[in-house]
Amino acid sequence: MSSRSREPQDAPLLNRGVASRLDRVVDSGLLDYRSEALPTWCPGCGYYGITHALAAALTERGIENRNLVVVSGIGCAGRYPFFFKGYGFHGVHGRALPIAGGVKIARPDLTVLVVGGDGDGLGIGGGHLPHAIRRNIDVTYILFDNGIYGLTKGQSSPTTPQGQRTGTHPYGNPDTPLDPVVLGLGYRASFLATGYAGEPDELAPIFARALAHRGFSFVPVVTPCVTFDAVNITWDRMREGWQPVPADHDPTDLTAALNLALDENRYYGVLYCEPDRPTFADAEADTAARAAGNAP
Amino acid sequence: MGRDEPAEGIDVTIRICGAAGDGSLAAGGFMNAAAARMGYHIINIDLYPAEIRGFGKSVAHVRISDRPVHTPGTKADCLVALNDPHSITEFGTLAEGAVVLYDSRPPVYWDEDRAVAGFIEPGMVGYGVPLGELSARATRSTRSRNIVALGALSGIFRIDPGALKEGIEARFGRKSAELAAQNLQAFDLGRSWALENLEKTDAIDFHDRIPGQREGVRVVSGNEGAARACLEAGVRLYAGYPITPATKIMEILAKELPARGGVVVQTEDEISAIGHAVGSGFAGTRAVTATSGPGLALMTEFIGLAVMGEVPVVIIDGQRGGPSTGLPTKTEQSDLHIAAFGGAGDCPRPVLAPADVTECFTLTRTAFEVAEAFQTPVIVLLDLFLCNRTEDVNFSDVDPAPWGAWAEVRAERHEGEGSYRRFAVTETGISPRAVPGTPDLYHAVTGLEHNERGLPDYTPENHLRMTRKRYRKMETLLERWPEPELAGESGRAEVGIVSWGSGIGAAREALAFLQTRGVRAAGFFPRLVWPVCEEALRSFAERCERVIVAESNYTGQYAGLVEQALGARVERLTGVPAAPLDPAAIVAAAGGEA
Repeated sequence: MSSRSREPQDAPLLNRGVASRLDRVVDSGLLDYRSEALPTWCPGCGYYGITHALAAALTERGIENRNLVVVSGIGCAGRYPFFFKGYGFHGVHGRALPIAGGVKIARPDLTVLVVGGDGDGLGIGGGHLPHAIRRNIDVTYILFDNGIYGLTKGQSSPTTPQGQRTGTHPYGNPDTPLDPVVLGLGYRASFLATGYAGEPDELAPIFARALAHRGFSFVPVVTPCVTFDAVNITWDRMREGWQPVPADHDPTDLTAALNLALDENRYYGVLYCEPDRPTFADAEADTAARAAGNAP
Repeated sequence: MGRDEPAEGIDVTIRICGAAGDGSLAAGGFMNAAAARMGYHIINIDLYPAEIRGFGKSVAHVRISDRPVHTPGTKADCLVALNDPHSITEFGTLAEGAVVLYDSRPPVYWDEDRAVAGFIEPGMVGYGVPLGELSARATRSTRSRNIVALGALSGIFRIDPGALKEGIEARFGRKSAELAAQNLQAFDLGRSWALENLEKTDAIDFHDRIPGQREGVRVVSGNEGAARACLEAGVRLYAGYPITPATKIMEILAKELPARGGVVVQTEDEISAIGHAVGSGFAGTRAVTATSGPGLALMTEFIGLAVMGEVPVVIIDGQRGGPSTGLPTKTEQSDLHIAAFGGAGDCPRPVLAPADVTECFTLTRTAFEVAEAFQTPVIVLLDLFLCNRTEDVNFSDVDPAPWGAWAEVRAERHEGEGSYRRFAVTETGISPRAVPGTPDLYHAVTGLEHNERGLPDYTPENHLRMTRKRYRKMETLLERWPEPELAGESGRAEVGIVSWGSGIGAAREALAFLQTRGVRAAGFFPRLVWPVCEEALRSFAERCERVIVAESNYTGQYAGLVEQALGARVERLTGVPAAPLDPAAIVAAAGGEA
């Protein structure tokens, strides 16, 4: 495909400003993680911003394409693996974490990035989250929380606010929504950060820290569905109430992290981080040593 | 005396029945280990009958023969009664003239209508031994009645005591030398009491032959065989959720895999188990999960994904009685259809079914290679009878690859024009596979219908092309898979018997019996049960006047596949007796008199 290579005959179509910006993008290395397939998301979708931030984080971490595995379930975010240059596994609905666990346990040399939506990760796949956390598998899980089932055109998700009208709840959603941040802290993920899609430049360093964390890093990100949600997480409402995690916050303090999560303000950044918790691989190395020494 | 062969003409089935804590299963274990050590062939299964009256009845069923045996046998020649009321319910399993060894002074008083002695009819042989008293003399408790009974059996049947005592000493010696000595004394007391006080009126005689040591012979269960296959295959990851009767495989691997560079993950459910295995297979390492029917039901969506994404993974299913939670401790062969067809859409995958313990090892071993060679999930159908039964196996005599060697086609570097075609349509249906970590051969595996490059493509032309590709792999497998086992009559036969899995043992014994009765009978015993080896089946059916398909399920699941392949009806021998297939039933169906 030559759509992204700048052939001479294309040059006259671009004014100088656009061309130099394109150069900057190419030189940034951000496109190195883009596959030849073009994203299928709606124009204006928050996922573009998240993708940009992720590419920046991968660039910063210097992850080689051949060692990158992107695992997803089903949903708009599930299509992610197709748009990344690396190895991808687009699995079945809700089961990205088990697949990712298998990849990482079998091949610790790979960087495993898990992406998925709120329905995929908290609805159908909600049973896997605590156990991936419990095992402290060294993967990064980014939860795209748009509060709606977008790919199937607007049904209630586990994070849809109570009372919101959706395709499956035309008279209003009767259920109270889950809060992925509180859940993740409650399950005691060894790393939890959060943010929103509106400011990719703020997200990128958060993702980079998540990728750098040894252990399970969980990053719920609030993002709008511009097509099937006109009332809850719109571009304007998405930005309301956010501020950076306070400079004096101690990310090793779970109670402090929970207090931030339960606060009426929303805080982007790293809420909780337990850098020394043994990963599954660490525990397995111990097991192997005990097995070799024949002392169970 | 002193010859290194086992006594001839021996084919004895012993059932040791007790309540929980009576040690009946332990006694069975000692008996079959000793028999294997003496050079006999054994088959043993521990039973927990459904018709439990009271609590915790358990029966060790041991068959000992000087020839290889394939089934537990139809009727028992001897019942050792460690609990009277439970043992009375066992009388229906006894052969004519069977021996009943019972406690003449049981530790619990039983009314006449609940005491074994009152049920021994003329024609049977009853031996009352004061098991409890002798036990108390040796160990100051009645807990070693089972060991006393073994001693008595040794005296009555003239079983060389050395082999039995070796096992008893080894087992109790692990706890303490004193305990070992006490139990050996219990054995000796039982043996000498029997020799001094009983008049032998039965015909079972092992002639006190000195054990003919068979080097390297081990008593192995089907689960142990399958676990050994996983170890030898170099499995990187076992992911599983405990379920009867497959848990033992996980427990063995949990102990053995870590020192061999493998990992066992106990997942939150079977969906996660196969998810982990599929992830590991995708990453280019060998992965396996083992389960039973309810777990397989949960796994079907992932099986579809592995078929669609062409990911190698091995799934071992220890079938039990179904549907739903069904009969968790009973054997059945009723998961064939879910194994072959479970899940959405046209979803081809091979199903292999071993016939005995040795094949639990060899066929599971082969399953890993087939999974990689054809980039597919492979289901290995065991059943509870195969999982739990033990046989004498000498692994150094076992050909580890009787079904051939199968190699994977990997892609290591980028060749040709354009980007890598992970799902390239080829003559065999097999596309060279790249795994993560390989430079340049980037792609995504997906459960969506996709084109050769792995990108979603829902056009009817593409769906047809890729569906054909996936089925083409099954055709290639059929072309390369060895001919199914044909047994008995090789020419025209009056009756053809088809069976699969653990049913093959019963069919084989039925076949041998029919031939001794002059019936020209032939057997068709496939190990690749899906897809069906149509050509071989057709030529088999053509030379048989009748075809009977024998299996342990209600509907005749394999019979249905056979009929589909033949385009003709066959006779079905089906049933859900919650017990292994009975050779006598096959003989009866074939018109021979058992």
